[in-house]
Amino acid sequence: MGWWGDNVPEETLSRDEATRVIRRLMRMLRPWRVLIAAATLVLMAQAAALLSGPLLVQHGIDDGLPGKKHPHGSAAVLNRTVLVYLGVALLGFVLGRLAIILVARVGEGFLKQLRNHLFGHMLSLSLDYFETEKTGKIVARMTSDIDAMQELVSQGLVLFVQNAFVFVGAVLVVLIVSWQLALGILVIVPPVYFGSRWFRRVSNKAYLEVRDRISTNLSTLQESLEGVRVVQAFGREDAFTRKFEVTNEDQYHANMHTVRISSKYFPIIEYAGVFGTAVIIGYGGWLTTKGIVTVGTVAAFVLWLNSLFEPINQLSQLYNTVQSSAAALAKIFGVLDTRPTVRQRQAAVDLPRSGTVDVQDVTFAYGANEPVLHDISLHIADGERLALVGPTGAGKSTLAKLIARFYDPVEGSVEVGGVDLRNAEFVSLRRRVIVVPQEGFLFAGTLRDNVRVGRPEASDAEVEEALRALGLLERFAAFPEGLDTEVRERGSRLSAGERQLVSLARAALADPSVLILDEATSNLDPGTEHAVERALEQLMEGRTTIVVAHRLSTAARADRIGVVFDGRLAELGSHDDLVAAGGHYAELYRAWATHQAAPEVA
Amino acid sequence: MGDEAEHKRERAAEREAAKQEEAQTRKRGWRLMRSAVRAHPQLMILGVGAGLVWATARVAVPLLAGEAIDHGIAVDRTGITFALTGAIIAVGAVQAVGTGLRRYAAFGLAWRVETDIRMRLVAHLQRLHFAFHDQAQTGQLMAYANTDIQQINNVVLLIPLTIASTIQMVAVVVILVLRSPGLALFALGLLPLLNFSATRFNHRMYPIGMQLQKELSDVSGVVEESITGVRVVKGFGVERMQRARLATEADSVYDRSIDQARLRSNFMPLIDLLPALGLVGILWYGGHQVLAGNLSVGDIVAANLYVVMLIWPLRMIGMLVGQLPRSAAAAGRIDSILATDPAIEDVAGAHPLPDGPGSVRFERVTFGYGRGPAVLDGLDLTIEGGEAVALVGATASGKTTVARLIPRFYDVHAGHVRIDGADVRDARLSEVRRAVGLVFEDTFLFSDSVRNNIAFADPEAPNEAVVRAARLAGADEFIRDLPEGYDSIIGEHGYSLSGGQRQRIAIARAVLADPRVLILDDATSSVDPSKEHEIRAALAEVMRGRTTIIIAHRPATIALADRVVLLDGGKVVADGTHERLLTTSPRYREVLARAALESQPGAVDDEELLDAPGVGD
Repeated sequence: MGWWGDNVPEETLSRDEATRVIRRLMRMLRPWRVLIAAATLVLMAQAAALLSGPLLVQHGIDDGLPGKKHPHGSAAVLNRTVLVYLGVALLGFVLGRLAIILVARVGEGFLKQLRNHLFGHMLSLSLDYFETEKTGKIVARMTSDIDAMQELVSQGLVLFVQNAFVFVGAVLVVLIVSWQLALGILVIVPPVYFGSRWFRRVSNKAYLEVRDRISTNLSTLQESLEGVRVVQAFGREDAFTRKFEVTNEDQYHANMHTVRISSKYFPIIEYAGVFGTAVIIGYGGWLTTKGIVTVGTVAAFVLWLNSLFEPINQLSQLYNTVQSSAAALAKIFGVLDTRPTVRQRQAAVDLPRSGTVDVQDVTFAYGANEPVLHDISLHIADGERLALVGPTGAGKSTLAKLIARFYDPVEGSVEVGGVDLRNAEFVSLRRRVIVVPQEGFLFAGTLRDNVRVGRPEASDAEVEEALRALGLLERFAAFPEGLDTEVRERGSRLSAGERQLVSLARAALADPSVLILDEATSNLDPGTEHAVERALEQLMEGRTTIVVAHRLSTAARADRIGVVFDGRLAELGSHDDLVAAGGHYAELYRAWATHQAAPEVA
Repeated sequence: MGDEAEHKRERAAEREAAKQEEAQTRKRGWRLMRSAVRAHPQLMILGVGAGLVWATARVAVPLLAGEAIDHGIAVDRTGITFALTGAIIAVGAVQAVGTGLRRYAAFGLAWRVETDIRMRLVAHLQRLHFAFHDQAQTGQLMAYANTDIQQINNVVLLIPLTIASTIQMVAVVVILVLRSPGLALFALGLLPLLNFSATRFNHRMYPIGMQLQKELSDVSGVVEESITGVRVVKGFGVERMQRARLATEADSVYDRSIDQARLRSNFMPLIDLLPALGLVGILWYGGHQVLAGNLSVGDIVAANLYVVMLIWPLRMIGMLVGQLPRSAAAAGRIDSILATDPAIEDVAGAHPLPDGPGSVRFERVTFGYGRGPAVLDGLDLTIEGGEAVALVGATASGKTTVARLIPRFYDVHAGHVRIDGADVRDARLSEVRRAVGLVFEDTFLFSDSVRNNIAFADPEAPNEAVVRAARLAGADEFIRDLPEGYDSIIGEHGYSLSGGQRQRIAIARAVLADPRVLILDDATSSVDPSKEHEIRAALAEVMRGRTTIIIAHRPATIALADRVVLLDGGKVVADGTHERLLTTSPRYREVLARAALESQPGAVDDEELLDAPGVGD
């Protein structure tokens, strides 16, 4: 049984691509070559055991039972044959068990390694990769693509190899036992083969259609559920039900199309089987009278017939699973072939403690696009607070990202503590320069685990110390399970403000010299807003801080303000200087100040 | 000590109750499946009838083959051999036709039942009250309509197939027993083990499969979190930590998969072994019977063929047994939704909503969501026909609830909501809904053309009406700028619009319905303040001669109203013009100030430094 539609590959690989994928797969499988060889031998032996059954039936009938050869038969020969048969059957059973375990060890071991390898590689990629690829797609490489192969490995692989061996073995054995009768039944193989090919082609197309219809139907359904309030508010329930009926019936008809196809195919397969039996009986019977084969051979052929047909049937079903896996593997290789754009150099040096930042003549573009930053130079003294302001898309966030070396500048350089970031050793870079995102991001785990992200090797005491330094220890210790509270569990959902606090504590634990803050655009709950401000103040104390400011009130508190306009550093100076200078900043500030002062009725 | 015993008893009682509930669910599931299958007797009859033909033909083949060996081949009578060969070919044709028809009927029945049940479910969901949808999760409902219904399909499919297989099995047993009970025993004696172990295998595989699914979803949990939080991961350089977490999960997947393989290795080889043992038994017992002259070689070959023939039917029965409780539970879950009655419906003898200018009255209205605390507490409020009223209040003051009670999305717990003097519960629901147009704060647009979205209330509306509604909502201009104008497809699979644009289309949609009472629930909150100015002018025109209720915070929008009603804790705490409330109500000033702080124009920057990259798009 099988629905045949489970694994219809969306895209199939060309022959060349498939060859490349297989070659590479072979290389990756090298560590398992001993196990693979063992599994192959076991599977071959199992096929031999399976195919020798009919041979023993033949021997038992011809040499043990009364017939033309031995008019009285021989109980001894019969008993001996039966005993050997029993032994062979049990051997086949043991080999079958062994094969499943061996193949699972190879396949699952490979998948485990692939998961780890692929994930490690993904994390080594630079930020540009994550910004150009959609999250859903990246995640799919690690989930649905590997899961597609998981299915092949756990269910299909053994069957695939087993059936291939059985088929080849069956062809050989019937040819050896009686090539005349073999040719008679092999005549039936081509129609079955071509029938299977036709079926696969037609049904794949039909199943792709089914998949389309299902997704259309599901999106209509989803829309009707998400929009149910609007539908009811406008009294359009009937119209919407009718709309769904159309897509629902479409799905039904697409499914029925596949039913019609398989209702044609399966009779052909079944009939071929019966026809084969008839050929063996009729043609084999005629050969018997000619003395070319024996009655036992006829009986054995009837049994071998199953070993000839079943593999073709099974293999054509597995074909789709194999194709999907190959396509998935090709996509995974695509990721593995992507190289990180930001890399650590060979002779990288540790960043010093100093928090001076020098941006020198930096020009930057995303990929091959137009530059978003032009020729920016900026010196930030150790311990200084600089706010970056400017309209959306002006480049202030990009500038901040360059200082954290999420990207490398196209021209010019960024130095921290006098070291060009391109020469910095990664671990020290991630310790010295820390970015605090707009929204506190939490990992699954406890509060403690989440703070420890700042410095994974920190002790419990150090984690608590970091929290205490920001005045947060009491607050989090008061949670139901204190710092061991699971943050993602139901009921202990942290508010946006609390998440932000965890994020700040994380930064405090990392103890950076340069802190880059992306100010939150949305308001925090009033209960935590104050705590966040206090913690921030503590965190910034004694560190170079660069704030990507969204509020002018924040900017006004900084030592200096950089106004980024159209990819250039348009103005730089203290709040008072800039207001007095009467440029962009002064304009923004005036508009904001009037708005603040009087929310007048228009 | 006593506590512990008490606790144990309680837990046992809980388990018992859960078990009973499960049994109850399955029972309802059975009922649902039975009624769905009964609706298509012709497919069931065709499936079983064709199955019968198929089984008969199939069972005849080994008999014919055996006869041919004994009376043709063994005794060199080629004529008889060829005649019987011809018979096999003919019977095979009947078998082939039978198998085509029975598959067609079985699959056809399964898809028909699936389609029918899904249709019933979705039609029912469309009619269920807001309160139901408030607590239901879309994902959950989608799963009912998708995976749960597939479970039903799986079992419905197997029913006619298994009936035919069972008939075939019985026929084989009867034939062999008639020929030789001993041979029957040796040939088939072990085969029930196949069925038994298939059932056991499915039973034991299920929990491991579930565990594996869970481990796999843990893997994707780590992956998703690492990718959405990639800036934090890279920002703190904790790639190694995440890699270690993934390695742990990957190890668990490996362990479960090996468990699964072990279980499979206990079962799968049996599929080959048990029939082989049958063949061994036939050769031994049958062989000695042939030597004794009681059986023929043809009997042995026929018995061999029967053994091979029964492998699949037995496995299928095992599958059905494993599938039944799962499908029944899935069907039960669906049935429990179908059994939920819509709470908001026309009462018996509901009368038409009387004509009127659209006056709205709340009389001592008390209401709360579900079993939650009262949101409105004896609210009295009168809005005259044609009047424009602004409802202002802090979060959770009850203003949105007021908006939702007018079109009777919920029924009040006490008191009355009246439109033009009629209690909304006594009037026809369809007329109440038509009389009230509500623009929600979270705008929902359908994946359809702009035109169809605006003409949602009246798909037949002429083009001019659609354009006029769009113009009144300040949407006409940007719609014309879309590549295909009013025919542009919007929503998930089309152009993405800004929040403000979506809101304006939603307003146009409500305007086109031409309601007596128009309710704008924070409906311009996402509109850029510079553009809001244009909408305000248009809105003033829409509001003329129409009762309008505006829920808003921006003073400029509030100014559209004749009167302001300040809500606090589910009660009206101040009522008057904006200017008066500004001077007399400190609470009003406080609410406005808070709202102003929360929405600073120009504060929103689309370019975020460390946000998650487009999740789920």
